[in-house]
Amino acid sequence: MTREGFIALVGHEQEALRGFLLYLCCGNKDEADDLAQDALVKAYLSSAGYQEKGRFRSWLFKIAHNTFLNHKASCRTTESLDEARTLVSNTSADASFAHQDLYLALRTLPPKERSAITLFYLNGYNIKEIAAITEASEDAVKKQLSRGRDQLKEKLKL
Amino acid sequence: MNKDKELEELFFAQKPQFDDNEAFMASLNKRLEAVEYVKQHQEATIRRYKMALVAAFVVGIISGIVTIVFMLTMPAAVPLFTFRVQTGWLSWLAANSRLLTASVLSLLVTFGLISIVSNIQDIRNMHYSKNETLTNANQKNPSPSLA
Repeated sequence: MTREGFIALVGHEQEALRGFLLYLCCGNKDEADDLAQDALVKAYLSSAGYQEKGRFRSWLFKIAHNTFLNHKASCRTTESLDEARTLVSNTSADASFAHQDLYLALRTLPPKERSAITLFYLNGYNIKEIAAITEASEDAVKKQLSRGRDQLKEKLKL
Repeated sequence: MNKDKELEELFFAQKPQFDDNEAFMASLNKRLEAVEYVKQHQEATIRRYKMALVAAFVVGIISGIVTIVFMLTMPAAVPLFTFRVQTGWLSWLAANSRLLTASVLSLLVTFGLISIVSNIQDIRNMHYSKNETLTNANQKNPSPSLA
């Protein structure tokens, strides 16, 4: 795939990808954009092996998900909810919209549950697709979604 | 699994909007350009290395062929090398020294030829030519360090 072709394809998908990573990073826009750039560079470097015709977005999400998990693993931090609150409220990008509650609630979820919930509710993927993106079994995804949903509802008092 | 209506509505209502898409794409483009430059530079380095390898093999093969021809033109009765100690198999080795050396050299020449073919194939499969790489790099990054 040429760089021009790749850029053209990414142009259509970058907003969805950045949104997905923004939720995974719980509203930290700078971190999300850095991860998005890293994921897209990785995707470009492996684009020669891209063969899933017509499933470019899922392929990008898979790479972004792995990039996010690697990033999380490399900076293992155990942030409390209070720390998370400080982080989110200090981020300039978040001051403009009122996503904080949802981001804070998402922050309490483990990364894999957060991914499953975001892919399911934000990006509209079904369980089979989420299983393919996160490389987990469908049963595992169902459990992640069920646990994540309960936890989110409890935190958000829905 | 059914979607939870409240959560679905919450996520839908809070779908992130980005007003810096162009800046993001410009930044990505810049990164990819840098990645491509490094990739091309690596390819050019590998290509140079393989060319040197091919040249070394060609020289080796020519030397091997010259040596074989030289050995075969020598008088047949004169062994190529002798041993001071005369045991059964050392005598056999000395008697057949020319044939054995010619066989070993032929084997090396064959390996050399195979390596040349595979290296040339690798070089031909490489995406960019050395000149193209440097031209692209100079066009995109006209700084003296990259030229």
